[in-house]
Amino acid sequence: MVTSVSSSALLLSNISKNFSGVAALTDVSFEVNPGEVHALLGENGAGKSTLMNVASGTLKADGGLIEIMGTQIANITPALATELGLAIVHQHPAVLPDLTIAENIMISVPESLLMSEGSTEKTMRKILDEFGFTASLRDRVETLTVAQQHLLDLAKAFAINPKILILDEPTAPLGQESVEILFKKVHAIAQAGTAVIYITHRLAEVREIANRVTILRDGKGRGTSNVSEISDDEIMTKIVGRQLESTFPPKHDGSINDGEFVKIENLSSNDFHEVSFAASKGEIIGISGVVGNGQSQLMRSLVGLDSHAGKIIVNGKEIGNKELLLKTAYLPADRHGEGLMMTLSVRENASVSALGKFSQGLFISRKREDNVVLASLRELEVKAPSMDSPVSALSGGNQQKIVMSRSLLSEPIMIIADEPTQGVDVGARAEIYKILRNVANSGIPVIVNSSDTKELEGLCDRVLVMSRGHIVQSLEGDQVTEERMVAAAIQSTALKRQEIDDAVAASQKRTISKVLQSDFVPPIVLTGMILALALFIFSKNHLYFGSYNINAVLGLGTGLGFIALGQTIVLMTGGIDLSVGPASGVLLVVASFFVNDGKSFWIIAIGFLLIPIVATVIGTANSALIRYAKFTPVAGTLTVYIALIGIGFLLRPAPGGYLNASVTDFLLRKVGPLPDAFIVLAIAAVLLEIALRKTKWGIRLRASGSNEESARRLGVNINRTVFGAYIASALFAGVGAIIFMGLIGVGDPAQGTSYTLQSITAVVLGGTSLLGGRGSFVGSLLGSVLMVQVLNACVFLNLSQTWQYLFQGLLIVIAALSYTLTRKTRR
Amino acid sequence: MSSVDRRDVKKSSRIQISRGMRTVLIGLAALYLASALIAPTSVSRIAQMGMLPFAAALAIVGLGQTMVIQQGGIDLSVAGSVSLAVVIVTWGPDRHDNRLIPAVLAAFGAAIITGLINGFLITRTKLNSIVATLGTNAILYGVMMGLSGGSPRRTTERLSNFTNNKIFGLPHSIWFGVIVTIIVTVILKRTVFGRRFEAVGANARAARAAGLKVGRYQMSAYVNAQILYCIAGIILGGVISQPTAYQGDDYVLPSVAVVVLGGTSLLGGRGFPAASAISALFLKQLDMFVLSLGVPYGVRTLVISLSLMIGIAIYAVNWSSIRQKLMRNSKSRTLSSASA
Repeated sequence: MVTSVSSSALLLSNISKNFSGVAALTDVSFEVNPGEVHALLGENGAGKSTLMNVASGTLKADGGLIEIMGTQIANITPALATELGLAIVHQHPAVLPDLTIAENIMISVPESLLMSEGSTEKTMRKILDEFGFTASLRDRVETLTVAQQHLLDLAKAFAINPKILILDEPTAPLGQESVEILFKKVHAIAQAGTAVIYITHRLAEVREIANRVTILRDGKGRGTSNVSEISDDEIMTKIVGRQLESTFPPKHDGSINDGEFVKIENLSSNDFHEVSFAASKGEIIGISGVVGNGQSQLMRSLVGLDSHAGKIIVNGKEIGNKELLLKTAYLPADRHGEGLMMTLSVRENASVSALGKFSQGLFISRKREDNVVLASLRELEVKAPSMDSPVSALSGGNQQKIVMSRSLLSEPIMIIADEPTQGVDVGARAEIYKILRNVANSGIPVIVNSSDTKELEGLCDRVLVMSRGHIVQSLEGDQVTEERMVAAAIQSTALKRQEIDDAVAASQKRTISKVLQSDFVPPIVLTGMILALALFIFSKNHLYFGSYNINAVLGLGTGLGFIALGQTIVLMTGGIDLSVGPASGVLLVVASFFVNDGKSFWIIAIGFLLIPIVATVIGTANSALIRYAKFTPVAGTLTVYIALIGIGFLLRPAPGGYLNASVTDFLLRKVGPLPDAFIVLAIAAVLLEIALRKTKWGIRLRASGSNEESARRLGVNINRTVFGAYIASALFAGVGAIIFMGLIGVGDPAQGTSYTLQSITAVVLGGTSLLGGRGSFVGSLLGSVLMVQVLNACVFLNLSQTWQYLFQGLLIVIAALSYTLTRKTRR
Repeated sequence: MSSVDRRDVKKSSRIQISRGMRTVLIGLAALYLASALIAPTSVSRIAQMGMLPFAAALAIVGLGQTMVIQQGGIDLSVAGSVSLAVVIVTWGPDRHDNRLIPAVLAAFGAAIITGLINGFLITRTKLNSIVATLGTNAILYGVMMGLSGGSPRRTTERLSNFTNNKIFGLPHSIWFGVIVTIIVTVILKRTVFGRRFEAVGANARAARAAGLKVGRYQMSAYVNAQILYCIAGIILGGVISQPTAYQGDDYVLPSVAVVVLGGTSLLGGRGFPAASAISALFLKQLDMFVLSLGVPYGVRTLVISLSLMIGIAIYAVNWSSIRQKLMRNSKSRTLSSASA
């Protein structure tokens, strides 16, 4: 590190960054001083977010220098940036949906800062209150609206008093009230000496809060000025630039101009309101506006993916929702997530909608399919090694052409394209424009949403500008210019409806469902079920509460309980450990070679020492297969499962090795009807439960299962967390093995295998989600007890095995269903 | 463009052997070679005739599991379903041949109902497939125990003949395995249903956006799987003269293993039914081989685990995309110019 003389908080010099050959940033320099608010302006894709991701260490620059607080930094990482006092609020909030608001704050705000108001709770409340945040600290983040999640992310960033604060389009999802609060906070923090970088689209906001402004276009810096010394027009010119576009096909000739072919009347949904427009045959309609103002949702409604009120009329016929889904074609903005089956081939992706047309009798005629698809691909000039190469191997532009080919082959009545050229190189763009124009000329209406105003200007005959869900401007013919679009979007004063107030009102209504979704409900319900079942059996058979029986039930439940605790840890990270059953079997077998009658103390001690050692090896093997060899958790732990059975039988082909009697006696000791081991289990479950909720370890564990990407951004080491979880799970299987020593008394390799599925069942009964991120150790303990109790009940009630199985099955299904359904009421 | 070139493009796409199939076929050939050289008894006619019917049953179960895994699920109810089918077709007729057909129909009925329940729980109420099938498996066991008390009866003569009589020197059971494999492969690879089924598995969101009725395809995976498990159960009911009530237990994890070995990803999407079926033969022959070597059960199991690990590792690393990338850089060309 080299200390320089510059006084700037953040200094970026000559930064360049390429994404697979496409330049996102070229030679950009940027400087912010302490105490100033510096706006970073530019169109979508100009490179603003990329530049800030380079500064915060999320992306690595290809060239250039980064200096933070006067120190030059060669290899910046997110953790190092945070340490140096840099905080960034991304466009997509980095929050963990399964965790509570308090826990989300805890994971990013250092403990020392949380005591400033006396108690953590008070400090957190203050952090939120300052942003007019009414939700309770105990609410799960997933119950918040998008706007509230943004506010939370903002509040966290302000709370750590950063030296450099980067805000990436913070106002896009916010209502007016919150925007005002935010501006006040920005002013205040800048006055206190923080350097604020404010990325935005809106000119009005720049005038309101920024001291200086830097403009980016096409990945290049276009100058920095004092806000007071530059006019709106100058800024506009710098944002838009002058560029001759010869890549666009000629526009609609206007031969048909009845404005009747497509009619959209009063289309409304939660995200857009009263949208109406009409166009003639052959016209391409553009939707413009700052990203996130309802355009994408409008597109989805137009193809029937989202519901809507209002009418869509094409060629004189009104089209209902279901028909839209079948008859229109959609080019989604999220091409990988929603446009393509990435693992399938070019041919399969292109033909999937039109397959019916290739059938001869029952079967698809490959000949016909090949011919038609090949003709279509050639017409669209797709570049691909062959029709059978996976679509994931193509470039962005060619992938988009495959989606277009599929759309055209399905012979749609309308084509809706959302960001059709995003991630597409310049050459392919021109070809895509040509294809869209040809489609429009053939009489199929085309509606294009784009954040690239240049593109809309060159391509469209009619453009509607949206802001906050409303159409604020309708342009046609010569009016379709970039300047008019940008002006309409950034000068719009339309307000987003106060989502937050609505949400507060709604959240009060949801209190009951909120209570139902708490992690504590399953344990309470389970306790009730255990007691009710016990009383029922007691009424039939008075021996049930005998200390012999209680001891037997809890004794059996203890081994399962320990294994279930380990399974819970793994499930919390979103994984699954199938190897726990055989792992406990193998560990029992290992111990059976050492812990025998007549062996010396030291030999027995070695046996007990080997259990954690072998368990650590098992856990490491599981996590290495999953994290490094990229096996799915099921495949990885299944492989280990089979291997462990093999090892177990290799060590002891038949049960043998009677265990030391004084050890087994010790393990079977009890206090009254309660086995000592069960008491240990109960204490362990409670301690883990507390650790899960109160310690950084617990929060990290749940964070990595809740949303791996956000957790990573927040500085959680995912690899370490996952390795730790699988090792812990194997260690608990080891404790289970020790319990089996007492119960079984002999090294038996076949013992244990059944505990894999039983442990999963117990954990599911306890309310832990297989999706990761939430669960309860006490619940898993109670789930184990309930399972053993149900089996025992059938013996006491003289019911056959039939009922044991039926009860088990119904219990799992009903428990899982009720947990899933109560979770679903969230929004 | 000349018509000759057009045919070239088609040809290259026609003859296609998946990587899974290639791996499994090479493995199988190597295994039979090793068997013949090292443990000749394991390839004797008697050994093969004893092993193949069970390979056929595992292959059919594996085909069902393949369909479920293609939709991103996993079906643990295999054990209960196979066991229940065995019990219904042996317990129901109670050695009376004339009651066999109603029993078989009942078995299929039970299978369809189970499939609908699984499908409903997983695709409609969004239950995790592991949890849902764990639950239905226990319920199936309950029903099976309720019917049989845990000890099914001797198989009927008619069922025994039906599975064990020979055509061209091979028992029917083996032919069933082959025919069912061919039917499932053709349906999945050559019909509109099969192609869209694969597309839904590969990316349900994209399939919906393309206008497919996603729920129906996902539901069909669970129903078809149960029908296949039922067929396997009926075959086992005929092949084994006195089957136990827990015949399905040995099929749960092996069914997942054959799917994975065959190259179908546990993340869903493209399925390789024929490769799954051949993997079943591979696993059973591997069993037979190490058995006739006289090595202990532990080693046998370890060998299976090792082959599974190698198998998955081959697929987990995306070799083809690496190759494709290299190819794209060197040989990028348009389809039209290629044919010009």
